[in-house]
Amino acid sequence: MIPILEETARNLFLHVPMWMTMSTCFLIGVVYSVRYLSSGKLDFDIRAASVTKVGVIFGICGLLTGSLWARFTWGTWWTFAEPKINMSAMAMMIYVGYFVLRGAFTDEIKRAKVSAVFNIFAATTIPFLLYIIPRQLPSLHPGADGNPAFSDMTAPELRIIFYPAVIGFIGLGMWLYDLTYRSQKLEHQHQQNKLQQG
Amino acid sequence: MIFFLILLLRSIVEPDTLTQVYSDIWEGYQANESAFSRLMTSNDMIFVVLGISLIIWFTLLTYLFITDKKINRLEKEFLATKSKEL
Repeated sequence: MIPILEETARNLFLHVPMWMTMSTCFLIGVVYSVRYLSSGKLDFDIRAASVTKVGVIFGICGLLTGSLWARFTWGTWWTFAEPKINMSAMAMMIYVGYFVLRGAFTDEIKRAKVSAVFNIFAATTIPFLLYIIPRQLPSLHPGADGNPAFSDMTAPELRIIFYPAVIGFIGLGMWLYDLTYRSQKLEHQHQQNKLQQG
Repeated sequence: MIFFLILLLRSIVEPDTLTQVYSDIWEGYQANESAFSRLMTSNDMIFVVLGISLIIWFTLLTYLFITDKKINRLEKEFLATKSKEL
């Protein structure tokens, strides 16, 4: 391992799965957005919004943990010389924009349609912002300049814990998504009932 | 002449406060800086790992509490509409 990391090499099991869970959530979100646009069922829109919400939570976790890790290995909370952290902050802004956009509509169907289209745009920026562009530039993150993120420097035994950690955090994300979706769905039905009674 | 003598005397009697003040701030700053970092960098930086796992815990916990509150609110509203029907 790289000597400056010391025990913080263990953060690999915590910080990296955050981003993987976030990407998985956003991927599922865009699938539901596309399914909403093709079928017109509001249920898919609720699913897309819930899964994207969980993705944003994991993204915020990733940014905060990355910032603390950077403080004690790179010596700074935030640096503008590092493309990956700035790009990921930008990606978070785009997704916060998704929820601002949703809040701006009162008409359900309009909200669902516009936010589904926006979600497709937002999801296409993710691979570029988090993967392609940072890998082309010199970066403090592993995997810069076209090198692989896992290399000969990385101790092979880390993988034994890393992959289950990724699966575990994705599972946790899916459970949070399920809870969010069910509560959103209940709220939606409750409002529908109110409208019918009123 | 007397004025200069007084100035000279004062400069001898009074200590150099400016340097003192600034050096105090500098030392204080350094002490503050190292109090937190010394803890975090001790024991091969294991506390950084602790901090990061705590950040994840508390962010997810906050999210769960927000969801819980929302479900509480829905529960109350549901019960309110049900009692109206009865």
